[in-house]
Amino acid sequence: MQGTEMIAPGERVRCHPSVIVENSLSVVVLVALLVTRFETTAVAGVLAAAVVALLLFNYRQWKLTTIRFGETEIVVERDTLFKMKKTLPYAKIAAVNVNRGIVNRLFGTSKLQININSGSSATVPEAVLTFREDTADELRSAILERLHDGEVVPDEDEPAESLVSFSPADVVVHGLFSVPTYQTTFGSVFLAYSIVELYTSAGAGFRGDGRALVSLLIFVALQVAPAVSLIFRYYNYRVYRRGETIYLQHGFFRTYKTSFDVSRVNAVRVKSTLAARLLHRSWIEAEVVGLASGTGESLRPVLCLLKDDATQQRLLRELVPEFVYDRNPERQPEEAKGVLLVRAAIASFTLVLAAAYPSIYLYRETAALTGVTGTVLPYALPLATALAVLAIFYATYVSYRITEFDAGRDLFTFVNGAVDRETIVMNYDKVQMVRVEKGPVARLFGVARARVHLLSSTGGTSVGSGYFEEGRLRAIGETVMARIASGEYDYRKNSV
Amino acid sequence: MFSPGAGTDGYRRLNRKCLLSMYFGHAISYAILLGAFVLVEIYAQGFLGPNYDLVRYAFIAVLAIVLAYMIVSPPVFYARYRYRITEDRIDVRCGILFIRHILVPIERVHQVEVSRGPINSMLGLADVTITTAGGVATLNYLEAEEAEKVAELLDSLVGRMLKERVPGPGVPATEPTGD
Repeated sequence: MQGTEMIAPGERVRCHPSVIVENSLSVVVLVALLVTRFETTAVAGVLAAAVVALLLFNYRQWKLTTIRFGETEIVVERDTLFKMKKTLPYAKIAAVNVNRGIVNRLFGTSKLQININSGSSATVPEAVLTFREDTADELRSAILERLHDGEVVPDEDEPAESLVSFSPADVVVHGLFSVPTYQTTFGSVFLAYSIVELYTSAGAGFRGDGRALVSLLIFVALQVAPAVSLIFRYYNYRVYRRGETIYLQHGFFRTYKTSFDVSRVNAVRVKSTLAARLLHRSWIEAEVVGLASGTGESLRPVLCLLKDDATQQRLLRELVPEFVYDRNPERQPEEAKGVLLVRAAIASFTLVLAAAYPSIYLYRETAALTGVTGTVLPYALPLATALAVLAIFYATYVSYRITEFDAGRDLFTFVNGAVDRETIVMNYDKVQMVRVEKGPVARLFGVARARVHLLSSTGGTSVGSGYFEEGRLRAIGETVMARIASGEYDYRKNSV
Repeated sequence: MFSPGAGTDGYRRLNRKCLLSMYFGHAISYAILLGAFVLVEIYAQGFLGPNYDLVRYAFIAVLAIVLAYMIVSPPVFYARYRYRITEDRIDVRCGILFIRHILVPIERVHQVEVSRGPINSMLGLADVTITTAGGVATLNYLEAEEAEKVAELLDSLVGRMLKERVPGPGVPATEPTGD
C-alpha cells in the first residue's frame, strides 16, 4: 500500500512501517542516554532488552492495526490485546490535514490528521495516520473531495499566490511581538535580574550561586523559546482561498498544510499585543473546530501574521468577507465607569492588604543595611505596591475607553483587553448559549456583562463582553432565537 | 409549553425541598472545613511559630463568613431561581451574589442528562444537565419526576427538530424559509 497508486475503496491497509521507529524513538534516545550513565554490562543489557521489547511491541501494534477507506466511512481497527475499532464517517469529518516532522522527512512520509466535529475532542485528532508523502496527499485530496460533495479539490501544490506576502522579517516580527505582554514583562524582569546578578557577581570573581543562570533560563523559557517556536512554525507562511476553502501552509522543520471550509469558522479574532500596537500591527486568528495540530494557543489557525493594520484589514475582506461588516460600535455607558472603579478599588485594597505585612517585614530586615541597598530595599515593596495600584487604575481607565460592543445584522463584535487587545467578530448562527450576568456592584449601577458560548478550536469556549445595559446584551440571545425562528439560520451550514 | 405550575410569566420555581438539599450539602462542606480547622489547631502551631495566631484568626474569620453565606444563600437561591422551557428555548434565571440569565436555544442542545446525588435521591430531587457544543447549562434541584419530564420534553423537541431535517426518499430536506 505504500505505493503511489491510490488505495482501492474497502481495501485494508497499514500505516508506513516508519511509525515503528517514530513511536519508539523517544524511549530509544532516553535509554541510550541511560546506558552512558551505567557502566555495568548487566544494566546496559537489560536496557537493550527493553528497547528490543518496545520495538517488537510497536511492530506488533503496526502489523495488527489496519485502516479501511470505505464508501461512507474510514475504519481504523487494532486487533491486539487492547482491541480498538474507530469509525469515522466522512459526513462527520471537520478537517483533514497533513503535517511532516523531522522523522517524516527522513522517511519521506507525512502524517494524515483526521478531525471530527466535536467540542469534547477538538484538541486531539481522532486519527493520525502515517503514509508515504504522495499517498497521504492523495488520500487527503480524496477525503476532501468527499467532504465537498464530489467537487474536485484543487491540488495544493499547484502554485497559488498568497493573498499577502510574508517575508522572513515579517515572520520574525510576528514571533517576537505576538508573545503576550505579561509573558514578555515577566521574561524581562528575569532577564534584568540575571544581568544584575551577573554584574554584582563579576566583582566577586563570578562566584554567583547560580541564581543568574536560573533567571536567564526562565527568561529563555518565557520569552525566547516561544518566539523561536513561532518563527519556525510560521516560516514560509502562505494563506489563500479557493472557493469556499481557506488554505494555510507554513513551517520550517515541521511543515503544515491546513485547509478548512469557511463555514467552519465560528469567530474571527483580530489581536495585538502592546508592542504590536506600538508598531501599528495586528494579526488574525480564526476559531475553527477540528484543526488540532499543536497545543494550547497554537491550535487556533492564524489567518494573517503580524502586519500593518491596513494590510490586515484588506486580508480580512478578501479572505473572510463573511466576517466583515459595517461596524457601528458602542462604548460602555457612563454607569460602567462606576463598576470598573469599584472593582479597581477592591483589587487595589486587596493588593495593599496582601503587601502590608511583607512590606513591614522587609523594612525591618533591611533598614540596618548601608549603601544603595540600604536606601532602596526597605521601601522597595511599598513602592512596587503603589506602582501596581497606579497600573490597576490606569488599566481600568484604558479598559473603560476601549471596550466596545457592536451588534450587526448577521455578526456581532466584542472588543476587549486593556493591554493585549482583541476584537472578536462572531456569527449569531454559531452561538451555542448566552449568559447575561449582573454582580452586586453592576446591579447597583444598572449594567450587566454577557458571556457568549461557542465552539472554538480548543473545544467549547466563552467570550466575555464589557459592562453594558442589560437589554442590549440580551438582544444577542434574542437575535439568535429570531434567526432560528425566521429560517435565516441554515443548519446545513452550521452543523457541529 | 410545560406550563403546569408555572407563574403568569411562564417561569417555574423550585420545590422548597431544594432548601433542605442545599443545607445538607453545605453542612457536609462546612464539616470538612471544620475538620481542616481542627487539624490546624492541633498540628500547625509547631511549624507556623509566631505566625500561628494570625493564621488561626484568619481561619476563624473565613469560617464565620462561610457559615453566614451557607445560612443565607439557600433562601436567596430559592427566591431567585426561575426556569422556563418553550418550543424553542431553555431560559434560566438564577444566582445568589451574581444574577445570571441563561438562554439556550433548543436547536443547540446536544445531550440531556438527569443526575441525582445521594442527598437529592433522599429528597426526591434531581439535576438536569443540558450540553451544547459550546458549554453546559444545568437545571438544579428539580423534583425527580419533573426532571424526567423536562428531559423527555427536551429529547422530544430535539428529536422532532432532527426528524424534520432528515429528507425522506426523494424528498429534499426542509429549506430554510428566510431570505
